[in-house]
Amino acid sequence: MTLFHFGNCFALAYCPYFITYKCSGLSEYSAFWRCVQAGATYLLVQLGKMLFLATFFPTWEGPSGGYDLVGEFLKATVDVADLGGLQLALGRGAGKGEHRILVAAMGWATAELLTSRCVPLWVGARGIEFDWRHVQMGLDSNISLVRHVAAAALLWASGRHDLPPRLRLPLGGLLVAAAYEGFLTGWAGQALALGPWGALGVRALGAAALGLGALRLLVPLLPPP
Amino acid sequence: MLEEAGEVLESVLKASCLPLSFLLFVPAVLLLLGPPPAAEAAHEFTVYRMQQYELGGQPYGTRSAVLNTEARTVEADVLSRRCVMMRLVDFSYEQYQKALRQSAGAVVIILPRSISSVPQDVVRQFMEIEPEMLAMETIVPVYFAVEDEELLSIYEQTRAASASQGSASAAEVLLHTATANGFQMVTSGAQSKAINDWLIPSVEGRLTGLGGEDLPTVVIVAHYDSFGVAPWLSHGADSNGSGISVLLELARLFSRLYTYRRTHAGYNLLFFASGGGKFNYQGTKRWLEDNLDHTDSSLLQDNVAFVLCLDTLGRGNSLHLHVSKPPKEGTLQHAFLRELELVVASQFPEVKFSMVHKKINLAEDMLAWEHERFAIRRLPAFTISHLESHRDSLRNSIMDRRARVDTKALTRNTRIIAEALTRVIYNLTDKGAPADLQIFTDQMQIQQEQLESVMDWLSSQPRAAQLIDKDSTFLSTLEYYMGRYLKDVKQHHVKADKRDPEFVFYDQLKQVMNAYRVKPAIFDLLLAVCIAAYLGVAYVAVQHFGLLYKMIQRLSLKAKQQ
Repeated sequence: MTLFHFGNCFALAYCPYFITYKCSGLSEYSAFWRCVQAGATYLLVQLGKMLFLATFFPTWEGPSGGYDLVGEFLKATVDVADLGGLQLALGRGAGKGEHRILVAAMGWATAELLTSRCVPLWVGARGIEFDWRHVQMGLDSNISLVRHVAAAALLWASGRHDLPPRLRLPLGGLLVAAAYEGFLTGWAGQALALGPWGALGVRALGAAALGLGALRLLVPLLPPP
Repeated sequence: MLEEAGEVLESVLKASCLPLSFLLFVPAVLLLLGPPPAAEAAHEFTVYRMQQYELGGQPYGTRSAVLNTEARTVEADVLSRRCVMMRLVDFSYEQYQKALRQSAGAVVIILPRSISSVPQDVVRQFMEIEPEMLAMETIVPVYFAVEDEELLSIYEQTRAASASQGSASAAEVLLHTATANGFQMVTSGAQSKAINDWLIPSVEGRLTGLGGEDLPTVVIVAHYDSFGVAPWLSHGADSNGSGISVLLELARLFSRLYTYRRTHAGYNLLFFASGGGKFNYQGTKRWLEDNLDHTDSSLLQDNVAFVLCLDTLGRGNSLHLHVSKPPKEGTLQHAFLRELELVVASQFPEVKFSMVHKKINLAEDMLAWEHERFAIRRLPAFTISHLESHRDSLRNSIMDRRARVDTKALTRNTRIIAEALTRVIYNLTDKGAPADLQIFTDQMQIQQEQLESVMDWLSSQPRAAQLIDKDSTFLSTLEYYMGRYLKDVKQHHVKADKRDPEFVFYDQLKQVMNAYRVKPAIFDLLLAVCIAAYLGVAYVAVQHFGLLYKMIQRLSLKAKQQ
């Protein structure tokens, strides 16, 4: 609507990242450069995904208005590449074990914020027309942060050898859920015919569930207090 | 973190890939310097502007064409510099004047999708108001828009917001800002300016009579243009689409009669479809000047029997012959008048016929009827119309649509005129033909379907003089149609004089208006406060994240122990 509104939405989107970065003590480990590297990995993975999708997935002329389940499912399968990229970022991140999670997740999520949200906010929130969409975009970026941290934690946990065997199955399930999160929440939003706010709520619930599950799985791996 | 960012930037700049680093900055600079882009509007719709023209140096109508203001309805307290939206069904002249007195930024009048569904009293009232709206000096733009669902919803939301403006408490106002929408109306396009070198075209055609030189000429004239408060909305079905359709039907009938030697009369027939009729008959005026002053020989200079102007013949049960001087006995004009009375009395007794005598008043801004142009040049002329007064608001209204024309009445009027004309041209009464002789029957019948389709074609498009120039499809169709029945069909053009123009037209008559949803400034502050609170909560949550972790640890240990 105005520059002020753009400032509002940008603060809503970006400040939690800033807070997380500052309060998690990452700055003490000079991890900025590694975050940028994780961000670069994100860009490369997105580029690869776009090329793949454009080549092998022509635009689906599905039933208009309905949610094209099969098409979206296949597209979501390509999102598994996201997890692969995150794994790559984890592997290269230095530092102690659990810090790698945060480094990789912060870099990944910040890159996603900068590439997919900054430009729409700049272009859209500054125009005359007001739309709740921009505020929703800011909240969505916060939810994405939680989700990426959870996914990175799950990947890190799956790479550890000292994971109790009985936890392997839930770990696998959560990883699959993390990969298909976009598809599942989109389908739920469509099926329950929720508006944009409802869909946002569903995504928040999903991210919270993933986060709590990841935390629970990390308990045996981290040193007890 | 900023120091680290600085280190990164330094290392990037120091690296040998200077062009690459430059690439980082270019988009940022471009984005910062670029203007705010045109966002997608909540609703985009076409608006038609009120007339803007000058006639004889006198300006009429609205003066401006640009708009960028917030929308309100008449219920609001503050109307100044706002765009006031009104619906036709709620329209009243007092409210319109009130809005203009409070220096509103613009007025948008929303018309229903089909004019024929509007109740008759509203139509009548609006027709009376139209000329007053044009006569008033209006500095701000006045637009007309055809309603659709989104426009209607915008209007309803604006009305709810305007009505509750004065009477809400502070808390209600705050809640209101969060939930309701305001609308900003913006027109694209530049300010209106005068169109230079606008040509008003007219079409003439003739049927030559049988016999040598120096035959008397009967001229049949009708103006084809229409007039209303908004040029793009004036379809002018009755006035003067009916006149043109009668002219074309007469051309067809007489060309039929003139094909056969037996019925080829000794009169020349000159047909003229004039343009600029609603702007003081500019087409006719210049045509007369060209034919009488600037050429050596023309049908108009020699023997003119009389000029019959057709104006608004599409409904009603009365016919009036308007003259500026009552015709003298023994002249052909008097013969025509007599024949009309005879035909009406014997064949169509339900029609009320009368002659209306009105002297030409040169002190007035506009001439009353088209025949007055001819009468000024001393040619005998009259206008036939179902209207009794030239001031009837039906002649200049956007409400004059196809539904107002009664094809049966139109056919009957065509019949009356054709029969009377034939009786004069072939001198039938003197030759002893009875009064109830019906000439136009069977093969020579007036074709009602033809009249209907011509009326449909004429009233399907706006025919304002500002919209028809010599290349327009309407004019080429008219020329083609006349060319089927008449000879020597050619166009005649009028261009306004450079130094002392008789008429000046302005452009920007049809524009696109965008309605953007906006929120008041308070909303931004409110949102900022909410976001600050949210960020505070997030900060506290992240700081105490360890607590959450400990809780989960305790839960899992408890589960393991069990």
